[in-house]
Amino acid sequence: MNSFPMEWYFTALMMFVGFYCMLASRSIVRQLIGLEIVSKGAMLALLSAGALANNLVFAQALVLTLIVIEVVVVAAGLALLVKNFRVNGTSDIWKLDSLKG
Amino acid sequence: MDKGLLAYLLIPLLSAVLIPFAARARRRLADVIANVTLLAGLANLAWLVLRPSMISGGFADIPGDGLTLLLVGAVYLVGFCVTFFSAWFMEDGTPNRQAYYSLILVSVAAMTGVVSATDFFTLYVFIEVLAVTSFALITTDDSGRGVEGALKYFFLTFPASALIILGISILMLTLGSLSFDNLRIFMASGVPSSGPVTFGAALMLLGFLIKSGVAPFHTWTPDAYQGAYAPVSAHLAGIVTKISGVYALIRMAALLHFFDGRALALSDLLMFLGMLSIAVGAVAALRQKDFKRMLAFSSVSQVGYIVLAAGLGTPLAIMGAIFHLFNHATFKTVLFLNSASLEKSAGTTDMEKLGGMEHAMPWTSWTSVVALLSTAGVPPLSGFWSKLLIILALWQAGLKTYAVLALLFSIVTLAYFMVMQRKVFFGKKSRAAEASAEVSAPLLAPAVLMSALIVALGLLFPYFYTYVRMVAERILI
Repeated sequence: MNSFPMEWYFTALMMFVGFYCMLASRSIVRQLIGLEIVSKGAMLALLSAGALANNLVFAQALVLTLIVIEVVVVAAGLALLVKNFRVNGTSDIWKLDSLKG
Repeated sequence: MDKGLLAYLLIPLLSAVLIPFAARARRRLADVIANVTLLAGLANLAWLVLRPSMISGGFADIPGDGLTLLLVGAVYLVGFCVTFFSAWFMEDGTPNRQAYYSLILVSVAAMTGVVSATDFFTLYVFIEVLAVTSFALITTDDSGRGVEGALKYFFLTFPASALIILGISILMLTLGSLSFDNLRIFMASGVPSSGPVTFGAALMLLGFLIKSGVAPFHTWTPDAYQGAYAPVSAHLAGIVTKISGVYALIRMAALLHFFDGRALALSDLLMFLGMLSIAVGAVAALRQKDFKRMLAFSSVSQVGYIVLAAGLGTPLAIMGAIFHLFNHATFKTVLFLNSASLEKSAGTTDMEKLGGMEHAMPWTSWTSVVALLSTAGVPPLSGFWSKLLIILALWQAGLKTYAVLALLFSIVTLAYFMVMQRKVFFGKKSRAAEASAEVSAPLLAPAVLMSALIVALGLLFPYFYTYVRMVAERILI
């Protein structure tokens, strides 16, 4: 491990892109997509760490588990989006302001 | 995984799978199965911990590290109170009973998994399961506010999961394994270059701080608690966010050996954020108009005490943190369940419209007052002892500024609760109080049980102190 591995640049880049996507967009769907990009960056980091620590099999097992969890979380998130659109009639995050005090 | 307590994870999961099939024709069967499952678990735990030989032996025979068992007990206790309350709270038809009880039981199973995990990845997996069930539970009553609270919870806490994964990958890179023991051994040994490990731990701590709603990451907490379906907000505030965030913080504080000064920057950071959270929560709670929202800000403030103590990390502080975590579960459950009773009977939780409720709802009022006084740390209730331990630990470690500030904000806590008591429970009878009547006995039972527990823990403090000291000794080795 002489040079800094390339994947970590991509990890940083993906997490930045994801967070930027979350910050810059008003639509909830786009925010969910940004969230997904962030978590994909984190997964890439895990895989890369496994390869560098000579423990790739373990890391692959973890990433497979993570993908399954992702599916469940995305399903829950999308269900929330649909429910929000039915109940509140909007997908604009700035219009969600009925709770305050 | 701690295998001794696996049954407490698997049995609720089994019941959760069973409920949709068994209760398809007879709706009320869902209530019965959920309550029986949790009550059986609670009875089993009580026998395990409270039998006379165990108490006289100073709890030396407790399996595992003791913290797991204590928190499994708290999870089952709050879970049972919430299911018992919901069984009588829900109107027929809405919401879907089978789905609701299945989700509650899955969330109990996931919390048991979180507290019995012995490596970071298992911890992460169960925290995600817990988060997914909470999103669904918050929106139980299909109201616009519930969906809004759940969406905010989702978008503000899910990035925390990515941070935790990033922290896990850095730990894997530097330690080669993810078990708690490995990190403990690394921190206890005198290896000089602990930089990358500290960085990985910092990322994970950041994730858990967001998940536990510590200031400045607290913005989702009031919305989620206020918007949630009434009994669910008790479940959420009483135990779910505490297990998914605060428990992990305490565990990491013990693993990182904050008390011998290895990860000093992290310790300072945690203590600062804890103090900030105490201040922000208390000051924001002073100007709230809604009962549930004020309770939510008070929750932010109380979590601050736990984080402050965890950040200090001395054995006494860890004892205080664990004790306060347990106390928080008891008094916040009482308060949120009573807010649900108020909502059912008086039809509102707006403090301007309520007033003089002690005439109309004496039991609800007086159990709330006990819980409020315990939160504010009035002796001899249990909240007094945990705050005393935390402040003593701070003073002992030479952090006199923090100790004095913690004491001052404890008085602010008393102040905003006095304001609330006067507005809601005492004073002249308002129109809402004229129109409302005391809720039925089954709805009062969980609050009365928890209030009795608050008083009992305060009075029987020496026994509980022995237990908590045993836990702190075991997890700090």
